[in-house]
Amino acid sequence: MTERASGPMRWIRERFNIDPLIEFASHKQVPEWRGSFWYYFGGVSLFLFIVQVVSGILLLMYYQPGEKTAYESVRFIVTKVRFGWLVRSIHSWAANLFILSAFIHMFSVFFTKAFRRPRELTWYSGFLLLALGLGFGFSGYLLPWNTLAYFATKVGTTIVAVLPGVGEPIMELLRAGKDVSTATLTRFYGLHVAILPAAFTLILGLHLMLIQTQGMHEPEPWPGGKPRYMPFFPNFVLRDLLLWLIVLNILAILAVWFPWELGSKADPFGAAPQGIKPEWYFLFTYQALKYFPAKLAGIDGEVVGIVLFGIAGLLWFLVPLWDARTPRGIRNRFINYVGITVVLFIIVMTALGVR
Amino acid sequence: MKRSALRVALVCAIAAMGVARAWAEPATPPAADQCLTCHLDQDSPEAIAYKTDVHAARGVSCADCHGGDPRSDDQDVAMSKARGYIGVPRKDQIPRLCGRCHGPGTEAFKARFKLDDVLTDFGGSVHGHALESNPGGPQCVSCHGVHSIARVTDPRSPVHPSHVIETCAHCHSNAAYMRDFDPALPVDQRDKYLTSIHGKRHAAGDIKVATCVSCHSNHLVLQVKDPRSPVYPTHVPGTCAKCHADARYMAGYGIPTTQYDDYRQSVHGKALLQKSDLNAPACNSCHGNHGAAPPGASSVIAVCGQCHQSNEDLYEQSAHRGAFAEKKLPGCMVCHGNHAVRAASDKLVSFDAPAPCAKCHRNDGTDTSAPEIVRMRGLLDSLTVGQTATLAVLSHAENLGMDVTDARYSLKDVNQSVVQSRVAIHSFKVRKLEEAARPGIAIIAQANRAGEEAVHEYKFRRQGLAVSTLIVTFLVVLLWLKIRQIERRQQGEKS
Repeated sequence: MTERASGPMRWIRERFNIDPLIEFASHKQVPEWRGSFWYYFGGVSLFLFIVQVVSGILLLMYYQPGEKTAYESVRFIVTKVRFGWLVRSIHSWAANLFILSAFIHMFSVFFTKAFRRPRELTWYSGFLLLALGLGFGFSGYLLPWNTLAYFATKVGTTIVAVLPGVGEPIMELLRAGKDVSTATLTRFYGLHVAILPAAFTLILGLHLMLIQTQGMHEPEPWPGGKPRYMPFFPNFVLRDLLLWLIVLNILAILAVWFPWELGSKADPFGAAPQGIKPEWYFLFTYQALKYFPAKLAGIDGEVVGIVLFGIAGLLWFLVPLWDARTPRGIRNRFINYVGITVVLFIIVMTALGVR
Repeated sequence: MKRSALRVALVCAIAAMGVARAWAEPATPPAADQCLTCHLDQDSPEAIAYKTDVHAARGVSCADCHGGDPRSDDQDVAMSKARGYIGVPRKDQIPRLCGRCHGPGTEAFKARFKLDDVLTDFGGSVHGHALESNPGGPQCVSCHGVHSIARVTDPRSPVHPSHVIETCAHCHSNAAYMRDFDPALPVDQRDKYLTSIHGKRHAAGDIKVATCVSCHSNHLVLQVKDPRSPVYPTHVPGTCAKCHADARYMAGYGIPTTQYDDYRQSVHGKALLQKSDLNAPACNSCHGNHGAAPPGASSVIAVCGQCHQSNEDLYEQSAHRGAFAEKKLPGCMVCHGNHAVRAASDKLVSFDAPAPCAKCHRNDGTDTSAPEIVRMRGLLDSLTVGQTATLAVLSHAENLGMDVTDARYSLKDVNQSVVQSRVAIHSFKVRKLEEAARPGIAIIAQANRAGEEAVHEYKFRRQGLAVSTLIVTFLVVLLWLKIRQIERRQQGEKS
């Protein structure tokens, strides 16, 4: 095969030995079973991230952070720049679909126990990627400097402040001051276009490398007792590509039929609009905190809530450490119940928050 | 605050003194009043005059005001300070003395003689304040006289409607006197009044007409800027309406009594009475106050021009100025009416009755002004109808999810053009109106174009989406077929 190659491949081969990579790809296999469908959400998340990077770079060409320029430049993008409306709408929709896809990916990994040894690092890196994705969402939401974004950021950053001792300093670190201001906008802009992308790219590289070297997690035991595989290339890659095209279509339909609104410019001295809510992916936390009583055992209810969420998140992150039975091959229903409870909790709280 | 407290204390003290004295020393019968007996014997003019005083008939003795002991025929005793004799009271003491009976309190004799508390009103009035600050200020006797005080209905009284003008003018036409109290206050009210319809009728003996107290009230006279005053701008129409809306009272004068109702419905009335816009004209803004009279046909334009300056300037240079003057038509009123002035509408420029143009012009081909009128109406409609139509286009675009904020915002500038055009119409010249309307018409055209482009863009987006969706779907199908082909080949190789 290598001898027969000509043209560009020969040109490349003469300069870089890609034969090991081709060898790796041609022999790489992906488990084929009823749960294989969930494998694709990792790829979909990656695709949406790429869409965001590309659309984000295009937006960067025109976006100008600053109290007097942020809103105006976004307005300019959506009204004057050719296809600017489409790029902005796709960027916003892709961000939301990315979070959704990443959540689905995380829960599919959780329920298929794909986090178990030797894939703990893949789980940890994936969890960090989701956390960074949420950070992308939170920081990017403020950038258009519109009323909803301004007050949602204000509410969001205030929640951190209730933590005793460290709350205020963290809030001030996030806001770059006592209140949400132009300084916050500049800080969020820096986070959104430099710090988070750099961190995300590094961890994403690690995450992809781990997946490629360790391979996809296989079901235990195999349904029917007989393992089945499909070639990674071209079968799995083409299916991935097919799904990406479908997602692209969905993205285009959403962007055209439901263009992301810009709203009115933020007025720091204006009254907060009624019913201000965070983005849907933070809604379950926001809604759940409402149900905490004012005081719990003499401690501020909100503080208890945030600490509990922090502990829950940490336990979720460290699930490969405390789920000791699954790696030993013992059926572990408890872990399923935990997962189902978390999914139901998120769905119910989000639905209550949306209502 | 301090002044109010002093006033309240003063009134209370006077009331207490009055009550105490009324209970302790009931009014002495005139027969036993040695003061009067003795002073009459000396042919004292005050004593002689007092015989006709309204107070004498009700048993008020000299001592009730001057102090002393009226029962003693010994002058030294009767007029001794030990018996409370004060002689001629100082001017600033007079309200307190009169207030013993005419002040606050619920004594039986007050009810019997129907004595109102006018002392409190006086204390709160502009006159009361003047007396507080200057002992030479006005007090009871300044208006009512002394020793021969008569009821207000008695023609001898200085406050009888036939005399009240002169009574007030005694001070208010005296520049030297008024300078001590309110140097900025004009002193020509009486002179103006004499030129007014009210004044002329009054001079002819008609005491039904308005005098000073009809508008300013009597004891509680307040400054015009005091919102409690009956002549405060928002109260002026109601004050005038007390007489002018009373059909029975006005019977015989031959003028309508619908002015107040008309005014309340007018654009001016709504601004003043409903929105409390003190810039809006009240009756006196057009008719004058002390010199109140209806403006003549030739002066209507000047009266309206006080506020509508630009309209007046353009009208003065228009062809209508001469034409209306020749026919003795009252300028602005011909088109806008008087008391019932409605918000001006572009419909006024029309040949359809009751539009005012139709009063003189005909659109039958014989009137050379008709095409200009049609053109002017067309220009006005281009702005108003055009603006409405463009707003509809923009709303349609917004409903489609398109951003037309800039175009919508630009339409705000059309309003300025509309206002300027509605002013320019008073020149009755097409060229002037075109100059005023042109910027607005250009903005409307631009905004309309932006709206239509937005709708077109919306359609383009949908069509673009349809094309891209078809292409991507086609690629999906191709890919799916390719995958199947590969997998069939792989199956074949395996088997």
